[in-house]
Amino acid sequence: MRNEQEVNEAIERYADTVRRLCMLHLKNHADTEDIFQTVFLKYALHTEPFADAGHEKAWLIRVTINACKDLLKSFFRSRTVSLDEVLEQPAALAPDHREVVEAVLSLPQKYRDVIYLHYYEGYSAPEIGRILGKNVNTVYTLLGRAKQQLREALGGEGDA
Amino acid sequence: MHDKIRAAFGEIHAEEDLKAQTRAYLARQAPGHRRRISGRMRLVPALACFLLVLLAGWGGYHTYFTPSAIISIDVNPSLELGVNRFDKVVSVEGYNEDGAALATAVDVKYMDYAQALVRILDSDAFAPYTSEQASVSIAVFGSDEQKSSEMLSQVEACTAGYTNTHCYADTMEVASAAHAAGLSCGKYRAYLELHELDPSVTPADIQGMTMREIRDRIAALSGSSDAVQTQGTGVSAGNGHHGRGMGNGRGKGHHAQEP
Repeated sequence: MRNEQEVNEAIERYADTVRRLCMLHLKNHADTEDIFQTVFLKYALHTEPFADAGHEKAWLIRVTINACKDLLKSFFRSRTVSLDEVLEQPAALAPDHREVVEAVLSLPQKYRDVIYLHYYEGYSAPEIGRILGKNVNTVYTLLGRAKQQLREALGGEGDA
Repeated sequence: MHDKIRAAFGEIHAEEDLKAQTRAYLARQAPGHRRRISGRMRLVPALACFLLVLLAGWGGYHTYFTPSAIISIDVNPSLELGVNRFDKVVSVEGYNEDGAALATAVDVKYMDYAQALVRILDSDAFAPYTSEQASVSIAVFGSDEQKSSEMLSQVEACTAGYTNTHCYADTMEVASAAHAAGLSCGKYRAYLELHELDPSVTPADIQGMTMREIRDRIAALSGSSDAVQTQGTGVSAGNGHHGRGMGNGRGKGHHAQEP
């Protein structure tokens, strides 16, 4: 089990990443709290050493995405949420940024992770494949379609 | 699009209260995460429980099977009953050939000591030693004076119907000295008495003598009247001598208290 200091440092380092992934998958703050607790408790209990910071981050991203999927599959979870809650986080953003985030959130679930991991976290397709446990070619396909839909959503802007 | 996405998502941060709640949750759920506990260390509580059970078992066994008092029965057979704190006979040891034969013939282990005593005295194997001429010495040795006194009363009550019995109590130190000399406790007490009158007597001499022979020698050396009294009282009173030598360590004085 990791000591308190290690876990607190991990919370400081990765809380934003976990929060963004939660936003991509979840629709209310209570679920986000659940995921935070689940992910960092798993981190606290994970005693095997990480090869480097990149390995640690990839592990946390994978655990967060899996925890979100598990939560969404949960039978006991409430399946109805208000529209305000869905847009709770983007509402606090600048109008330009809000538009982009809403465009990403409007994509089908399977595209959101690859878009975020590729554009924001800067992972390549093979790295995304390892994190999500998907075939590289599948990741390429998902990325291509996601970009296409995002371009359409954002008014035909080109890729950077 | 790349920059826009980076800028937009870069604006999203985990709220401070979310982090604080997570830390509080972890502190509640895993108060032990202050220390790193290796896989091997996780076995420690299980091992501790196992040792505790083992220790309790050993403690119980030790408590039950450690005699807290000894009842020494001496005629010619010299037999010692180890009695635990629950008044149960936990060991039966013969101190000479006859004693060993008697210990084998009469099974009194785990019986209440009073019942065990009656069973031995009533047994066929003991019958040859209960002639009118025999002298039966029954001694209680214990470290707790009060307990020994209670046991002596019980032993006296059990032997009330038998002739020539001679009951007394003494300390565990005497019992230890007796065992060191290779004698049963009752014989050792008699040896001490005889040795005081005749310093040339050794434990080896006593080993082969019956209690009657020892008593007769003591009586002869201390004066003929005592010899007559010892023998006479034993037979006529139908119960023999009862005395308490508790704490004198040398076994003196029990004759003085004879009825």
